[in-house]
Amino acid sequence: MEQIKTKKVKVRNLSKIFFQKSSSFEVVKDVSFDVYDGEFLVLLGPGRCGKTVLLNMLIGTETRTSGEIHINGAESGKPSPAMSMVFQKKALLPFKTVMENVELGLKFQKIEKEPRRKICQKYIDLVGLHGFENSYPHELSGGMQQRAGIARAYAVSPDILIMDEPFGALDAQTRYQMEEELLQIWEKERKTIIFVTNNIEEAVYLADRIILLSSCPAHVKAVFPIELPKPRDLFDPEFLRIREQIETQTDLSL
Amino acid sequence: MDEKVKVEHLTKKYGDLLVLDDISFSIKKGEFLCIVGPTGCGKTTFLNLLTKIIEPTSGNIYIDGIPADPKVHNISSVFQEPSAFPWLTAEENIEYGLRIKKYDNKYIKEQSSKILALLGLEDYKNVYPRDMSVSMEQRVVIGRAFAMNPDLLLMDEPYGQMDIKMRYYLEDEVIRLWKVTGSTVLFVTHNLEEAVYLAERVLVLTNKPATIKTEIDVGLERPRKVSSPDFVEIRKQLTDMIKWW
Amino acid sequence: MEQFKKKNLIYQILPLVSVSALILSWIAFSLATGGIIFPGPASVVRRILKTFETPIAGMTIIGHTLISLKRVLTGLFISCVSGISIGILVGSNRYLKATLGSFLEIFRPIPPIAWIPIMIMWFGIGELPKILLIVLGSFFPVMLNTASGISLVNKINLDVGQIFGGSKISILKEIVLPTALPSIFSGIRTSVSCGWTVVLAAEMMGAQQGLGLLVMKGWGINDMALVLGAVIIIAFIGAMFSYLLKRAERLLMPWNR
Repeated sequence: MEQIKTKKVKVRNLSKIFFQKSSSFEVVKDVSFDVYDGEFLVLLGPGRCGKTVLLNMLIGTETRTSGEIHINGAESGKPSPAMSMVFQKKALLPFKTVMENVELGLKFQKIEKEPRRKICQKYIDLVGLHGFENSYPHELSGGMQQRAGIARAYAVSPDILIMDEPFGALDAQTRYQMEEELLQIWEKERKTIIFVTNNIEEAVYLADRIILLSSCPAHVKAVFPIELPKPRDLFDPEFLRIREQIETQTDLSL
Repeated sequence: MDEKVKVEHLTKKYGDLLVLDDISFSIKKGEFLCIVGPTGCGKTTFLNLLTKIIEPTSGNIYIDGIPADPKVHNISSVFQEPSAFPWLTAEENIEYGLRIKKYDNKYIKEQSSKILALLGLEDYKNVYPRDMSVSMEQRVVIGRAFAMNPDLLLMDEPYGQMDIKMRYYLEDEVIRLWKVTGSTVLFVTHNLEEAVYLAERVLVLTNKPATIKTEIDVGLERPRKVSSPDFVEIRKQLTDMIKWW
Repeated sequence: MEQFKKKNLIYQILPLVSVSALILSWIAFSLATGGIIFPGPASVVRRILKTFETPIAGMTIIGHTLISLKRVLTGLFISCVSGISIGILVGSNRYLKATLGSFLEIFRPIPPIAWIPIMIMWFGIGELPKILLIVLGSFFPVMLNTASGISLVNKINLDVGQIFGGSKISILKEIVLPTALPSIFSGIRTSVSCGWTVVLAAEMMGAQQGLGLLVMKGWGINDMALVLGAVIIIAFIGAMFSYLLKRAERLLMPWNR
């Protein structure tokens, strides 16, 4: 008997068109997919088209041209405490320390200093930044900054964590390390994760399911469930086979 | 001796800070050499020494047996950010280096058509960089570097943030350009898979102060397959070697 | 490393060398011109200290300095508080920028000194017109810099605020203002120097006390030592303001390297 999984997020026929003076630019075209409770879902697509806009529509910082988004069964269009986000580029506030950045969401929720610092300390420790609470972002390496971003997103205890190519700007070795660590964090505290990347290897390493997007305008090309046990071996023949299978279906956007 | 480039005991210190420590290696004429190293190990300093932007604390760099000299030798570079000249078309960008060196026009046109054909960009030869995608601009820059028939072509993580499909395409393209022009290429990357895919030989650098940890010959036939057991084996070897980064 | 230390030492010694050179040439020049039109440093110091024996307009040099300082600090306080508040409003709200912003823009190009006759006409020569003049002279730099600093905020930082559930006010307080702080400081620095210039201009017309008055008075009775003394104190206080602001900046913005 298959376990009936709850759909945490439902996206139906989502589209986004940017209108300019005399032209229009379709970025997301009729995208539909589901996200199940507690799964690690990866949205994989070639560089530079539509993925970030799609995420921004999910989280509510971008309006939709058409389509529906349901979060936890209800229609959604604005940012809500059920969702939080980790960004690719530098999104830590440069004038705040690590602790002040991590506590931002809780501060906005008007939680008292003592309890909120306790919560944040837990997550700062969880991502391996113990001792750096009072450092400023510019004092940290790229990998450490991303870890702080993850702690900040976790601290508000969201149901759904959206991650927008968080390791894109890191070098290959740091990236592998962060992927491993992310899975470890996810094992300790399960969340529904929607992870966006343009790196097929990363997608196959992390995902329970991969949704392959086309190049601009983005629409769903294929869905790949990945059933290998975690943590996965990058050199495992089955891993490489799956990679190749996905590669042949990926668009090349020159 | 078909040694094109010879680096002997290259050392660079900034005050008390030792960045590069006694690096020695050589590159054969027409060889495709990859250098891999962790971020911040001094790769940029190393490249700056090769292009003679800065002088070493000690050690020598020889090209064709004589000390490297920007006035005599032709070293072209490609960086992570595309650097096409915005005021020149694709074709003009590619011809740039040759025009500077005052080759005759017929030869210049021949070279640029050849490179444009290899890149598949003949239809775009009159396009300006601002109308190109990032990847196209980078390809023009790479075409420009190869067109100059350099003594040494330095490539510093040129495909840094591009997606994998694009990377594979560009890597195949750079191999094509390399084979046709017979240039000597030094390709720096932090991506081991890319290094194994492209290189005939891979040098592994340590963390600061950087020295050469080891050297691996990649004797695989081209085109290489990322999933082939031999490829995987070499990649595993390299990965184990850099576990201490 | 030795070379490095040596180089650094030179950069520390050079300013002292140039200041000493300045003082020496001052002494030389005043001796060469007979010491009356251009008194030397010694006579200037003596003249200043004399105000303790013989006060001018009932005050010693310290009294006059304090009066000028009081005026400028009052004016600066008003212009900074109003400048920052209005700057925030104009910088964050397009409607306000179009209305209030454009209105203020009409007055900006008017040089503060041009206001002097109008001020005297409307308000006489008491304290009020002087303070108003200082405000007029120092309001715009801080307001404009605040407004531009506010508009400089990165969209991604605003998105972060929104995503983590910040209200508009919270986002302003936690994200927008700190981002604008360097610009605000730069505006304050300009305002302070403008304000200081204006107070002296104002005092040169109809003041009973103050450093500006000392300059006018000394000029009137050919007491160049007094003039020079007042001017040097003016310059010194200006430099002090700069220094204190720099320290404040470093304290309030530890993330700025």
